Amino acid sequence: MNFLKHKVSVAVAVVIVAGVLTSCFKEEPLNAECDIEKAWVHVSDVDSYFYNVTDTLIEVISTDDKIVFTMRDGVDVTALAPQFTITDGATITPASGSVQDFSKGPVTYTVTSQDGKWQRSYTVECNRVAHYITEVMNFDFEHFELNPSNQAYYIWHNILPDGTLGDDWATGNGGFRLSRRSAKPEEYPTIVLENGYDGHGVMLITRSTGELGKISGKPIAAGNMFLGKFNLSKALTKTMEATEFGIPFTQKPLRLSGYYQYSPSSPFIDKNFNEYPDRIDAGDIYSVLYINHDRNGNPVVLYGDNVLSSDLIVAVARVKDIKETNGQWVNFDIEFEYRRDIDMDLLANRGYNLTLVFSSSIEGATFEGAIGSTLKVDKVRLTCETKE
Amino acid sequence: MKRYITILLALVAVNTWAIMPNDGGCKNLQNFFRNVQGFGRLGYSIGGTAPLGMPAEIRSLNKFILQPNVSFGADLIKPTSKHWGILAGIHFENKAMHIDATVKNYHMKITQGGETLEGVFTGKNDSHAVAWMFTVPIQCVYMVNDKWKIKFGPYFSYLTNCGFDGFAYDGYLRVDDPTGAKVLLGSTDEERGNYDFNEDVRKCQLGIGVGVDYFFTRKFGVYADLNWGLSGYFKAHFKTLDQTLYPIYGTLGIAYRFK
Repeated sequence: MNFLKHKVSVAVAVVIVAGVLTSCFKEEPLNAECDIEKAWVHVSDVDSYFYNVTDTLIEVISTDDKIVFTMRDGVDVTALAPQFTITDGATITPASGSVQDFSKGPVTYTVTSQDGKWQRSYTVECNRVAHYITEVMNFDFEHFELNPSNQAYYIWHNILPDGTLGDDWATGNGGFRLSRRSAKPEEYPTIVLENGYDGHGVMLITRSTGELGKISGKPIAAGNMFLGKFNLSKALTKTMEATEFGIPFTQKPLRLSGYYQYSPSSPFIDKNFNEYPDRIDAGDIYSVLYINHDRNGNPVVLYGDNVLSSDLIVAVARVKDIKETNGQWVNFDIEFEYRRDIDMDLLANRGYNLTLVFSSSIEGATFEGAIGSTLKVDKVRLTCETKE
Repeated sequence: MKRYITILLALVAVNTWAIMPNDGGCKNLQNFFRNVQGFGRLGYSIGGTAPLGMPAEIRSLNKFILQPNVSFGADLIKPTSKHWGILAGIHFENKAMHIDATVKNYHMKITQGGETLEGVFTGKNDSHAVAWMFTVPIQCVYMVNDKWKIKFGPYFSYLTNCGFDGFAYDGYLRVDDPTGAKVLLGSTDEERGNYDFNEDVRKCQLGIGVGVDYFFTRKFGVYADLNWGLSGYFKAHFKTLDQTLYPIYGTLGIAYRFK
């Protein structure tokens, strides 16, 4: 009996202690975030609207506030009802699934957080793309601006076949900002070159990420620029996946040409700051064409660790041995090496992605290189096949 | 809070005045020490360096890892009347803590080498604090009988070896505010957000202690103390965390009367 009493008193004590502990925790605060995480459009005849079924769904990167659906040229966009997945508890206006007219340009949606304290605005647009045939695509790096959302670093725009400006150039500058908040725009790894080969060019410099970068095991940031997207959310975890290489491309690329200058710095270091006196840093310039869906039809994007090795690669053009140029512009003009045949139907239906990559340290993706190594690039040309 | 400290100090002062020798000289000093009692103590502390009132951003405590929080030292008690006395002592002790908590929208600002990363973090946080210190308690003592004593009064500590470090992991940081860029943090050493606030720990701390002594023989007893920090664990300029953290520790131990 005494034994039972003891047990009961222990149980009571446990309940009291547990009660005291749990009463310490206040009610969960309401969500403060207000993101559109996914956007999709449901139409009855998908194939007549979209080049690919997968183009109907967009996973929105946290730093993006522009959502673009790519559609076939000439389709009717006066009454579409995009739907959204937003942060739990948040509200969106106009409502998800409401019919909107996209023929007059982008429609603005506003998301308000569950706690009512935060808001984000997104523009949604339907971009109807025609199948242009351009013999030579020019990349002259003349269209740049300070990032409109933070004024911290430069971003570049490419010229689309219809003459408008695109957002296809990406850099790792946003990742650098996590560790070097105080850096001025010209102290970032990828910056504007005032006196390029012709007008402005782009300058890529391998930078130190300072003490904050060091404690996260990423002591350097190579200057990089590429056609694709930089997914900042993965910058500290799956770093290789932060660089999403490639944009849909509908022509057969033949040659890659342009001008560069390179100046390797020293000492060459690895991510633990070990110095390698025998290693000399090198720059990297290449272009890759790859199939952007796997066998099951799932969209594929190549990352830092497979952009030159994936089985989906169709063709590669890579400038060899980018070393010291002693302040002189060096011309490069190389052919794409095709590893497999190209399917012209798939090409016309946006089934291939193309990327173009510049880096001031060839091993920069694994945080190896020399702080100060500099690559300047200008007047890049991509020559494509024109015969149909 | 300041007012309470003042009242406590006044109480201690009154007691001290009462026990001071009225006229100088060696004999008086000997007289003074005649009825002084001396105690040695060895104890173990458990507690935390925590905000007063749990902020809603802290959702749960996943782990609480016991630390080598030993405390040892000596106290003298000078009785001033049949029931009252005054205690002064010196202790060497560790008030360490190792916890793992889940947080939501927890504002933090990490500064390292002149660069700052600020934002709100949702995920898990593992914190480790170490604080070896010398502590001087000055307390009023109420002697209930030969066995029981109740003690209360302020204490002052000087930290000789201290630190506060840890890492945020398995979650994400929204840079600047909840609409900012979302940066994921993983669980490996390279994927998480390490921090080290060792330089920001305040070396001098003060607080209030209450305690009970129970002597089951003339020489041997046990004691229980609660020491509540009144000064923040970090220096005033420290802005990484929104809440001020206070060291709040309880000590259980054995006492030995040597005089």
